[in-house]
Amino acid sequence: MRRTQSKRTDDSPTIPRRNFLKGATLAGAAALGSPVPANALSSAPKANLKAAAPGPRQIAAETQPPVKDPVTQTSSGGDFMVDVFKTLDVEYLTMNCASSFRGLHEAVINHGNNSKPEIVNCPHEDIAVHMAQGYAKIAGKPIAMICHGVVGLQHATMAMYNAWCDRVPVIVMGGNIVEANKRAPGAEWVHSAIDPAAIVRDYVKWDDQPTSLQHFAESAVRAYKIAMTPPMGPVMLSLDAELQENPIPDAESLRIPKLAKVIPPQGDAGALAEAAKLLVTADNPVIICDRFARTGAGMARLVELAEALQCAVVDNAGRMNFPSRHPLNQSFRRGTVIPQADVILAIEMNDLWGALNTFSDRIVRSSQPITKKGAKIITLGSRDLYLKSNYQDFGRYQDVDLAIAGDGEASLPFLVEQVKRLVDAGRKSAYETRGKRLAAARLAMVEQAKSDATLGWDASPITTARMCAEVYAQIKDADWSLVGNSIRNFWPQRLWDFKKPYQWNGGSGGAGVGYNLPASLGAALANKPHGRLTVAFGGDGDFLFNPGTLWTAAHHQIPMLYVVQNNRAYHQEYMYLQAMAARHGRGIEKADIGTTIKDPNVDYATVARGMGVHGEGPIIDPNDLAPALKRALAAVKAGQPAVVDVVTDPR
Amino acid sequence: MKTIACVLGGLVFALCSSTARAQDAPAGDLANGKRVYLATGCFTCHGRAGQGGAYNGPTPALAKTAMPFEGFKMQLRNPAKDMPAYSDRVMSDQEIADIYAFMQSLPGRRDAKGIAILGD
Repeated sequence: MRRTQSKRTDDSPTIPRRNFLKGATLAGAAALGSPVPANALSSAPKANLKAAAPGPRQIAAETQPPVKDPVTQTSSGGDFMVDVFKTLDVEYLTMNCASSFRGLHEAVINHGNNSKPEIVNCPHEDIAVHMAQGYAKIAGKPIAMICHGVVGLQHATMAMYNAWCDRVPVIVMGGNIVEANKRAPGAEWVHSAIDPAAIVRDYVKWDDQPTSLQHFAESAVRAYKIAMTPPMGPVMLSLDAELQENPIPDAESLRIPKLAKVIPPQGDAGALAEAAKLLVTADNPVIICDRFARTGAGMARLVELAEALQCAVVDNAGRMNFPSRHPLNQSFRRGTVIPQADVILAIEMNDLWGALNTFSDRIVRSSQPITKKGAKIITLGSRDLYLKSNYQDFGRYQDVDLAIAGDGEASLPFLVEQVKRLVDAGRKSAYETRGKRLAAARLAMVEQAKSDATLGWDASPITTARMCAEVYAQIKDADWSLVGNSIRNFWPQRLWDFKKPYQWNGGSGGAGVGYNLPASLGAALANKPHGRLTVAFGGDGDFLFNPGTLWTAAHHQIPMLYVVQNNRAYHQEYMYLQAMAARHGRGIEKADIGTTIKDPNVDYATVARGMGVHGEGPIIDPNDLAPALKRALAAVKAGQPAVVDVVTDPR
Repeated sequence: MKTIACVLGGLVFALCSSTARAQDAPAGDLANGKRVYLATGCFTCHGRAGQGGAYNGPTPALAKTAMPFEGFKMQLRNPAKDMPAYSDRVMSDQEIADIYAFMQSLPGRRDAKGIAILGD
């Protein structure tokens, strides 16, 4: 609907924008008494009009030769912008078409031959940004997204916030018409702004509105560099429509700056050496991490550090940080290992306070540290290098003993070297004992997880444990990549063997609903050239925010198995409402009002088929799940997206 | 430290009492227990099969719970952690007994080794 309104033919003159001034001049001339068509006379006001005396501009308009009004051009600013994207190796441009960037759109498909960037057609800007977020976490580099002036950006904002909180590079662009006298009446005014990026400035690392093509080139390269420098994040460029559409005035003077290799900052060497000393001399060191591994090398470095120390690792799973079945992986024993720790190394943690304290969500909210008294806490991460004030995604302040500002992954090789240098034979023996103890505890934890998974194994609605076990049974021998998960579904990490860098890519960041389906598709797009089997779980509530993502999946033939964990509710909210009702001692049988997605139940497989995607379900009987997954995977292996709607128990 | 002592005390009590838990519980109406369990939202955190789940943190499995009835009731009336309290204004002692009976009737755990796909 918005697109229709933006067309000039709807509510604005049919005069092209470049002819608008000419038209206005003619109208002015008519008012001054120039001959008018006879058919205009009947609708003319009856009253005698007293025209103002012509001013110098009007006189000039009448007496000077007509303004040069070419109807074609041989180049456009958009062409140059595409050339800039090509030098930056930007693979895709996710977007929903809009007039404020029609110049760049046309340049991408014709000048750029729809390659680097290739357009990914998305039916909502939220989808377009989330796809870019999911893509970057698998590909390790950003793609670009462009949206309509004002209204398109307003749609994109929540996804940009997710990317910001998730520290993911996304190059967001938006159309605009900077010069007021160049805007056609109607839509072009309501879709223009003095400062378009104002609404997103709190959650982008940097933004600009270039006023020339050279300015654009420099800002695009700068934006890319800033987005990719840890802590990574989205950036925003506002693109004037005239700059995109009009001929290049001085092509020979334009220059695309060189993009230097971005070297993530390593933490201070002296501080890392001190951290190594603390870790090596500790009785029970623990490593805890969140958005740590940003390349394929990150996990290997963390394994090397943990094995050198034979210490527990708690992975908050913001990225694919640590193999799930590694004997030192104590993520599901955090309640045991963190209170025992005498030294804690927190790497790229988003909410360290939350990890080291209990918090009680009761009438009187209270908290308590879970760390041992006197435990030394070391932080290593890029978070301290760049923060903003308004949105509170940085979490509560945590007391620490040594705060090392620097990229975790870039700092680890030096830290590992320092640790290894300090580990002598005596310590090695003690470490081995420690490692064996942790490995035994880890094995017991696995057996516990398997035992827990048997509870309700044959139940309908299907348990989430059964759902995850059935999916893994079908994919475990393939080169799989899990790129999305529903809220608090820990079964994959408890049961599956995650060991490759692309087998997990973290969550939404800002916990903004609507992330999962489009971000998973973006990750699938990044996995596609590698032939990986992309799999994702997602809640039904999340699905309903952006179901149009499936059309994009079908249109661009992006293979992905998407399993809807259909508990027919915004379930976390259902539980919160239940808690409120119980606290107030009333209405504890009504918490489904406003929190559930039933009456009618949504048939997600039919929705999928309606978008051109293979659909299976709703699967209610657990025994039907494996056959449905096999059929869906056959479609995925043939290059198609597929949805399996699994009616599940809540969690 | 006080909290740890309480938790340990509770565990010891639970272990010592586990064999007598069913006998100690007042008679419960299994069918009504199921109805109340589903209607009052117990299942939202603990699962329809009593398999447990997650709220702000993990929520325990209740199928064939080893917790004695008195402990079970105490957790409902004055819960630990973030579980909402169910006062006698909204849930009677008899309804708690019914829910407890329903929990004891659920299948509970199986031998994971008997489920092939959990072997991977």
